[in-house]
Amino acid sequence: MKANGNAITGRRGASHRKREKAKDFLCVAPALAFFAVFVYYPLVDLFRIGFTNWNLIRDDYKYVGLKNYKWLFKGSGFDTWLASLKVTFSYTFWEIVITLAGGMLLAALFNRESKAFSAMRSIVFMPKYIAISTSAIVFMWILNDQYGFLNFVMGIFGKEPVAWLNSERTALTSVLILTGWRVVGYGMMIYLSAMKGISKDYYEAAELDGANAFLRFRHITLPLLSPTTLFLFVTTFIASMKVFQSIDVMTSGGPYESTNVMVYWIYDLAFVQFRVDRAAVVASVFFVILLAFTAATMKISNKSVHYES
Amino acid sequence: MSMANDSFAANVRAKRARLVSTVLQYALAAIVVVVVVFPVYWMIISSLKTSEELLRPVPSLWPAEFRWRNYSDALAMAPFGKYFFNTLVMTMGIMSLQLVIGSFAAYGFSKGRFPGRDALFVVVLGALMIPIQVTFVPIYGMVAKLHWINTFAGLIVPHAVSAYMIFMLRQTFKSVDDSFLEAARLEGMGRIGIIFKILVPMCKPTMLTVGIISFIDGWNSYFWPKMVTTTPFRRTIAQGVYELKRSYAGLETMNQNQIMAGAVMAVVPIIVLFVVLQKYILSGFSKAASK
Repeated sequence: MKANGNAITGRRGASHRKREKAKDFLCVAPALAFFAVFVYYPLVDLFRIGFTNWNLIRDDYKYVGLKNYKWLFKGSGFDTWLASLKVTFSYTFWEIVITLAGGMLLAALFNRESKAFSAMRSIVFMPKYIAISTSAIVFMWILNDQYGFLNFVMGIFGKEPVAWLNSERTALTSVLILTGWRVVGYGMMIYLSAMKGISKDYYEAAELDGANAFLRFRHITLPLLSPTTLFLFVTTFIASMKVFQSIDVMTSGGPYESTNVMVYWIYDLAFVQFRVDRAAVVASVFFVILLAFTAATMKISNKSVHYES
Repeated sequence: MSMANDSFAANVRAKRARLVSTVLQYALAAIVVVVVVFPVYWMIISSLKTSEELLRPVPSLWPAEFRWRNYSDALAMAPFGKYFFNTLVMTMGIMSLQLVIGSFAAYGFSKGRFPGRDALFVVVLGALMIPIQVTFVPIYGMVAKLHWINTFAGLIVPHAVSAYMIFMLRQTFKSVDDSFLEAARLEGMGRIGIIFKILVPMCKPTMLTVGIISFIDGWNSYFWPKMVTTTPFRRTIAQGVYELKRSYAGLETMNQNQIMAGAVMAVVPIIVLFVVLQKYILSGFSKAASK
């Protein structure tokens, strides 16, 4: 190829190279066009719709300036917005805790080489691959006030039955029970595969120095897993901020908006209340919050993550 | 003599301690497994009970009598065949498009030479930060204008390219040595040949992994299919069980066995797939985490 390339000289070579470059670009063009049309343009359009009074009932609309932003920050939308932010962040907080702490604990427990353990690991990991909507329906049955298995078990231990999904105090917890079941095995798998990559030499050296199992975990495993923890933190953050499926099936944002997470609220505004303009503003602000938090996490983490060199 | 005795005793003690910790590890792990499996077990068991048995104050752990009719009753309540068909077409459509367009893009971003290549790759990564849960309102408007509501085009096209997949494939294509590509070029092979006859076969494990993950994600996807379908005509299985439940409006509790039967039918294909292909699924996740 090189000899061939040198043989073609002058104009023909130059135009040939140009054509090659154009062909290479053509390979990425479909993907880029897709992102332009279905990702970036809708984002711009989202912000634009926020300045209109478009709703799904009428076809025509006009620009109304900051009216929808005023509704959100200074008007009747503000309280709902704050409540929704609060419940979204508290859901996210707990999903991160379960994924990271629960995943780490299970990784320590399941870190054993044997056929039985390998099979058990797969089982613990599996719930992540069952559609959330379907497992949500199974959990609703287990959490049923009157006939649910969970209340029955609690009754054996002398506890009063709990209204789980029907009480604003326990609805979010109920959703988080499903979440925990789904994500803890995932956290475990990610940690386990990272633990495999840690050299045994560290542990042997530490053991010679007299470090016990806890100290070895604290001073070797934990710091060397910090890139993995960061990965899990960021991906879980982004995924859990978008929680929708379990809420839609299990609570529809209720009771009394106690599980009205951000994406559910946006959906409700757009497709139940037909206020597309307000939905667009809430979604725009939500996007800015997501972006800011992710950027901040990346920045902080660059300082505090240990990379094995 | 006493020294030998001491070390013997210490040895026995260490062995016993190791045995205790092993037994403890197995016991704790088994408890976790039981808790994780229980909801699946409960779903299956409930799907086979009679309504009377379902609503006993003390639930039974094994059905007294197997009522297989729950399954045909559930099928009569909701068009599961239609849901399966829709889901299969949508999922295969999304997976094929993502793999083909993704392979081309990954080739361009790893082996291609054109100005602004790495800057444009940032455009791909940026797409990861803009989820459809934020932009669905304008996308819905666009899809509605194209008359794609309740169509396969509406279900498939907005998911036709995956930034995550391009990222993964680019990483793998990069690891293939350029000499293979040079050799192929000397043989007169064009880009399409190089991508699908050289790179894709050489990166088969990754191709399989991302393909399977795309399939499972498609199969389980709920948010966008819910937005873009308004009737059972193009509804998918992830919404199907919820729709089944809603069709019993007010009588859900006593028909829980049929709802669970629907859930079993929705879950079985994905569990089978998981068991058969778990090797690739697991390797995909460790790959994603290490990048």
